[in-house]
Amino acid sequence: MSGRLSQGLYHAVLWLVALVFFAPVFWIVLSSFKTASQILAVPPLLVFRPTLANYARLFAQPAFEHHFFNSVVLSVLAVLIAVAVSFLAAFAFSRFRPGATNFLMFLLLSIRMLPGSAAILPVYLMYVAFGWKDSYIWMTLFYAMFSIPFSVWILKGFIDGVSPRFDETGIVNGASWLSIIARLTFPQVLPGVVAALIFNFIFVWNEFLFNYIIGGINTANIPVLLATNLSHGGGIDWTFLSSLTTVYILPPIIAVYFFQRFLLVGMTFGTVRGEV
Amino acid sequence: MSRIRFDGLCKTYRGSVALDTIDLEVEPSTLTVFCGPPGSGKSVLMRVLIGLEPPSAGRILFDGEDITTLPAAARSIGYVPQSFALFPHMRVFDNLAYPLALQGAPRPEIRSRVQQAARMLRIEPLLGKRPSQLSGGEKQRAAIARGILKNANIFILDDPLVGLDFKLRESLMEDLKDMRAEIGATFLYLTADPLEALTMADHLVVMDGGHIVEAGPVDAMYYHPANLRTAELVGFPRCNILPGRMEAAGLVCSSAIGRFKVVLEDGSAASEVMLAIRPEDIAPAVPGVSPLAVGTVTLLENLGSETVIYVHSGDTTLVTTIPASANAVLDLGDPFPFMIRPGGPIVFDRATRRRIGRLAETPHG
Repeated sequence: MSGRLSQGLYHAVLWLVALVFFAPVFWIVLSSFKTASQILAVPPLLVFRPTLANYARLFAQPAFEHHFFNSVVLSVLAVLIAVAVSFLAAFAFSRFRPGATNFLMFLLLSIRMLPGSAAILPVYLMYVAFGWKDSYIWMTLFYAMFSIPFSVWILKGFIDGVSPRFDETGIVNGASWLSIIARLTFPQVLPGVVAALIFNFIFVWNEFLFNYIIGGINTANIPVLLATNLSHGGGIDWTFLSSLTTVYILPPIIAVYFFQRFLLVGMTFGTVRGEV
Repeated sequence: MSRIRFDGLCKTYRGSVALDTIDLEVEPSTLTVFCGPPGSGKSVLMRVLIGLEPPSAGRILFDGEDITTLPAAARSIGYVPQSFALFPHMRVFDNLAYPLALQGAPRPEIRSRVQQAARMLRIEPLLGKRPSQLSGGEKQRAAIARGILKNANIFILDDPLVGLDFKLRESLMEDLKDMRAEIGATFLYLTADPLEALTMADHLVVMDGGHIVEAGPVDAMYYHPANLRTAELVGFPRCNILPGRMEAAGLVCSSAIGRFKVVLEDGSAASEVMLAIRPEDIAPAVPGVSPLAVGTVTLLENLGSETVIYVHSGDTTLVTTIPASANAVLDLGDPFPFMIRPGGPIVFDRATRRRIGRLAETPHG
């Protein structure tokens, strides 16, 4: 009985914490269906007549289309490039073990230990000097570069879990390394690839600082639009904020929902893997 | 059928010697077991033979033809690695078809040849399954079928049973023997397990420290090992090795458990020797006959049909076995009067490790 009671209590706490974390998301989604005065009502209105006017106004803005397009293109391209490059790098680290592999792996990750605000100034000066500012290609490559270290780490863990005996079986039968990578290794580490894609997608999708500084009118993404178009006639434009945020958080939420089993494998990689 | 010959094969990794001048010929259509402790060089030798790594020196010949520089795919070797390495993301059919698909064979040919190989190894009903759905024996058969489809007539099984449970290992060994009779190919089998080696082998190659210690038919290796290391490595339970000293006359050897008459082979004059006494050469003394020595039982291991007994006697512990039926009365700490079977134990030169003789048929010195 006491076991049941403590388990019930445990579940109640879990639910409470989950709800507290979910509350801001709930509030912003709810607000996107309210009028400006309803959003600001005290106490907050839970029962109201929903309106789609905010969305109609949002989708009618040419700025929305432009920024949404930028967000999608930059994140998808950068992540695909990063994971393709990282997969080959991780394979090389795992199989050919170049001298000082562990140190190289550490160096690779060290760029992610640098706070963005410390890196932004030199990166900005470099981008201006080379004329790369506000360019799709260089913005994409910047995000790809930033996504590679983490992807190499995730993927190397997965590839280490695939027995080299598979590679040797390929070699003995006349397969090239590319064929081994594509036909034998890649399908076996698909969960790791999906995990790397999603983690990096979320990072690039949410990135604000670098896009704001080394991007420009051409390449600005949704976080930049949110920040720059927030104020409206001396106040904050809550209807704009809530409807844009709701649209903006949908893609990552959908991706995480459909691939969550891969994400769980991704976060615990290297712990339970055996040879087949 | 290819006769494999290693001709002065050497392999060094960054200055450390993994294979030191291997000269060996493997009889076609036999099962040759390469036995040795981890790091003995047996796996490196196979990797060089398969073509996964080039040798540092020496040659490999198939039927007199030098294949040392031939790429792995062009050698008629089927490789069955540890745990079989069937691709988990492909059906059994695609696993078997893999070598043919890489060669670019047309679809209908692939289908008919895969089916033929599957029929030969009796795994036809499994072609649509995933490797994870197969039993251990079925995996082994599928891995060998994949080798056959590469047109291999030499199969290398690299410690295929390591980590599997005892019962499965036993049935896989039986299965492999049957399969070999059906295929008639040459099998090279790597293991560190002496019991597996004795059970499987026609020929046995004992390796240690990058050298071939000894090679030959398995019976000869067991009963007449030419090298002390062979006696140590081949046999289960392990062989008892104890130091001895030849007395002045050169015909009597004294050791911790007693003195023995020795028959020396010609030309040997070592005074420091090692005695190799197999567990089965030690027997409980027959009542009424005075025993060689009386030891104390320190450990009993019941293997079912027989019992392994550890006997402490004269500063050393000997291992012997008796049939389970004779074990009813033994307990830890009991006295164990025993004899040594005359003619059984072997005498080795302690310095060179070569065999120099054997105990005489008359027991005591």
